[in-house]
Amino acid sequence: MFNNIKYVWKKYSFLLNQLVSRDFKVKYKRSVLGVFWSLLYPVLTMAVMALVFTNVFKFSTPGVNYLAYLMSGLVIFNYFSEASNLSMSSVVANFSLINKVYMPKYIFPLSKCIFVGINFLLSQIPLYVILLATGTGINIYHLLLPFAYLCLFMFTLGFSLVLSTVAVFLRDMFYIYGVVISLWTYMTPIMYDIAIIDNPYLLFIFKLNPMYWFTYFSRRIMLYHTIPEINAWLYCFIFGFGFLILGVIVFKKNQNKFIYYV
Amino acid sequence: MGTSEYMIEVENVSMRFNLGIEKGFSLKQWFVDVGKRKKKIKNEFWALTDVDFKVKRGEVIGFIGSNGAGKSTLLKIVAGVMKPTKGDVKAYGNICPMIELGAGFDPQLTARENIYLNGAIMGYSKELIDSKFQEIVDFSELHDFLEVPVQNFSSGMVARLAFSVATIVDPEILIVDEILSVGDMAFQAKSEEKMLSMIGGGTTVLFVSHSIEQIRKMCDTVVWLDHGVVQKIGGKEVCDEYITKMLG
Repeated sequence: MFNNIKYVWKKYSFLLNQLVSRDFKVKYKRSVLGVFWSLLYPVLTMAVMALVFTNVFKFSTPGVNYLAYLMSGLVIFNYFSEASNLSMSSVVANFSLINKVYMPKYIFPLSKCIFVGINFLLSQIPLYVILLATGTGINIYHLLLPFAYLCLFMFTLGFSLVLSTVAVFLRDMFYIYGVVISLWTYMTPIMYDIAIIDNPYLLFIFKLNPMYWFTYFSRRIMLYHTIPEINAWLYCFIFGFGFLILGVIVFKKNQNKFIYYV
Repeated sequence: MGTSEYMIEVENVSMRFNLGIEKGFSLKQWFVDVGKRKKKIKNEFWALTDVDFKVKRGEVIGFIGSNGAGKSTLLKIVAGVMKPTKGDVKAYGNICPMIELGAGFDPQLTARENIYLNGAIMGYSKELIDSKFQEIVDFSELHDFLEVPVQNFSSGMVARLAFSVATIVDPEILIVDEILSVGDMAFQAKSEEKMLSMIGGGTTVLFVSHSIEQIRKMCDTVVWLDHGVVQKIGGKEVCDEYITKMLG
């Protein structure tokens, strides 16, 4: 088993590397600002949302700066939504390759999750700028954040594996998921505080959402300067690891059938 | 792993396709099917039935048969792209499939970037591509276009680049679906010569061609497939029988 993983890594790490760097090159090739867009784009979307939600809907988050609140949620949710969206189409888009050369098929969703992950790390720069500029500040607990990010990555990868499998058999998924992800955006407390929800049943449903826990975990640290409670650690890990296992099982069970659905 | 003298062992391989599902599946179709409440008509098709043969190290084995006989399916199974419905395929060595060229090119990337990307897709290591880079460029004769995005290439230039990337390795098992000759007249001659030298160079080769002359010239063993069933395995005399059957 261990030798097998070592062999696969040795053989396909270069391909993974090439696929990720291809995405980067293609993304920024024709733009003047290039990679600066990875820094600028999250700030601009945040600015638009802040403008709308503070002025039109009068949202506010008592005790913490709204911009910092919004930005910390957006960065995490944008990673998930972009990575899962790209992963969903990645297997179908590479059918012409899968049909000709043998390669592990999970390499396509994996490369998308890594590619968007690098963007996510870049978007930490504007996030920290906002945290400092709004006077929210930094503390020693920030060193715990990689735990939440790792769980977020596992969750996104696992979810993407399921999604890309379903998309092979059901092309309608591309449309369905567009609706699902916009519902998901509003079901996750990104631009509003979860405290505005007073219906206990609704609150229960909200807390079944894995994305809630990843944002909750990082906000406890970034905005409230405390170590997250033990249940936040647990939920993050269970959702992350659980979905990764689920994704691997679903993908593995179905990957040999992909070729008939070209 | 090399317990046997064979490089490839194809054991009782059968391959079933379900023609129904290949038409593509959509939610709409699913509702229509549910609405009909009709049992799915089994629309099965056996592309290969009980194919069994072994290939020795260094042997050049040719496959002949009419269109749809299952030749390309068999090559795809050996290459690991498809899993057989029944039976088993064992290949002891790295496989270089030359089934179609340039599938891995990204039109927005430059020729240089595409050489690395496509090489990685074919399973080459970075070191190998580094060391053969000059050879690839020389063979494709695209020295002046290395930094140009491939989408600005003519189709002949793309084919030349793809061919040059695909043929740099010395694989232990080479899978060839038709001899590829691409580009202009001069390059066609050059690429054909390169392929023939690869096939004749002592590697194990699985070779599909509609040119009986090429098969007769290159192959040690000939497998005649007909509707997914092996009609005959033998030496070059199988070619003659095939021709007699086809003409008669």
